[in-house]
Amino acid sequence: MMAALVQVEDISKTYAGLRALDSVSFEVLAGEWIAIMGPSGSGKTTLINILGGLDRPTGGCAIVDSVDVGTLGERELTRYRAEKIGFVFQQFHLVPYLSALENVMLAQYFHSIADEAEAAEALKRVGLSERLNHLPSQLSGGEQQRVALARALINHPKIILADEPTGNLDEANERIVLELLQELHQAGHTILLVTHSAEIGRMADRRIELAHGRLMQIVANVT
Amino acid sequence: MALIAVISGAAVCAALLNLDLDATNKFTREFRVFGANVVVSAPQTGDAAGTMDVGEIERIEQLRSPQIVGIAPYLYLSAEAQAGENKAAVIVTGTWFDAAQQMNSSWKVDGNWVSGRENRTDCMVGEQVAARLGLVPSHSVKVQYAGREAVLRVVGVITAGSSEDSQIFIALPLAQELGGLGARASLVQISVRGSAPEVENVIGRLTLALPGLQVRPLHQLAEAEGRLLERIRGLLFATVVLILALTSLGVLAAMAGLALERRGDVGLMKALGGSVQKIMRFFMAEATVIGFVGGTIGFAIGMLLSQWIGQRVFSVSITPHLIVLPATLALMVLVSLAGALPLRLLGRVRPSEILRGE
Repeated sequence: MMAALVQVEDISKTYAGLRALDSVSFEVLAGEWIAIMGPSGSGKTTLINILGGLDRPTGGCAIVDSVDVGTLGERELTRYRAEKIGFVFQQFHLVPYLSALENVMLAQYFHSIADEAEAAEALKRVGLSERLNHLPSQLSGGEQQRVALARALINHPKIILADEPTGNLDEANERIVLELLQELHQAGHTILLVTHSAEIGRMADRRIELAHGRLMQIVANVT
Repeated sequence: MALIAVISGAAVCAALLNLDLDATNKFTREFRVFGANVVVSAPQTGDAAGTMDVGEIERIEQLRSPQIVGIAPYLYLSAEAQAGENKAAVIVTGTWFDAAQQMNSSWKVDGNWVSGRENRTDCMVGEQVAARLGLVPSHSVKVQYAGREAVLRVVGVITAGSSEDSQIFIALPLAQELGGLGARASLVQISVRGSAPEVENVIGRLTLALPGLQVRPLHQLAEAEGRLLERIRGLLFATVVLILALTSLGVLAAMAGLALERRGDVGLMKALGGSVQKIMRFFMAEATVIGFVGGTIGFAIGMLLSQWIGQRVFSVSITPHLIVLPATLALMVLVSLAGALPLRLLGRVRPSEILRGE
């Protein structure tokens, strides 16, 4: 049996007395596409943040690629984010004064050393070979999200954590980004994607459904 | 804002550094309009001042270096002057007018300078002599010494603000004839350009080359020049330090503002796996570029500014010194890096809070 890439065991997170996550447990296999779904305030983003090393659990543990994320110190967490995680955010979060190419190279610089040719190749793979030197403000929302995808993939992360990546996109751009995610999935990448959309949820291998910080059900999609 | 602060600071620093570099050279050159600062004379013989052979002047001429900007012999005769009914005892000074004019460009002359070293018909009179004898340019004056006399046309009245105002100036050969002294002079005045040690160096060389003659500085003038020069340079240095401090504060304020603006970027960078050290290096590189670009633009503006200050304040033309460029760049890069240090505070930013929009 294939070993789990992600093991979440009885994880909890409390913010100022408010329980954002309450004893959630599940596993993710390498190469799986998981959709994390649920209404606003159900703990989806908190779960993603803990798995991405941006937040610490107040109880339980999250083991990613054999690393217990909650036990890492600040420096180790920084290395963990650089080496194992590729983030894609709803708001794109590109550095506004850096070009598309420089935004991708920035992630390389934080990981090890910047390689312009490799960064340009990553942007070419997401269809932006003509937009390398454009600033984020000169790109459409869909193009910005594709830059963010190229940035997320440039360091060959173990997991792609995508927090509503199509939430700010029109239908056409949403389709382009989802196609790219499907391609990544087919290429063997492990994807955990937060979404409100049932349609996107059905594209995943499994859906993890949360409500009020609790795991309600895990549904395997039939393909 | 940071770039503007660096450009302004660099411009003023470059201008003042350039002025400081040029100060010794240009200001001592300017001081030379106030006359000679070295005198060569024969030692006293008994009660009378000795005279020196004109051959010695030629030897001094042979020692001329770029620092020696003027050499003028003087022969003084205690004579009598008469213009119409007016008579007065005056000092008649024989000199080379071309050299005297070059070395005393601060003198005001009503009329003209005497032309030619051998001129035996014209003279110039100090303003006090002119007042006493009622002389104006084109008048004639008779000069008598030891039974010899010469009638000369006044071509110019000198206002020097010193003892020269009570003298009559004639060509050196004519003074030698009146004095019956042959080819001799009372002393030679030399105008030496440079700082006090450079002038001392020239005096040393002249002393070695002219045994039997006294070579001495005109202390009052030389010391006053030295003090003034020191004060000007001290003022320039203090201003550079002050401007650097103000520029640092300006850059610090701009960078602190930038740090607040960049809080979101730093949060994102940390989320992407950026360590505080690497993020700081990123901002330090930006500060270095700001220092470099601001320093280069500021240097260009500073060179124009130093020209303007030189012309308007000191009435001298200032030469741009390229050595000021690396000095300005180094100072501005250091100031920018120091100004960027508050960005370290951004190390405390929590990426999850930033990404949540807090």
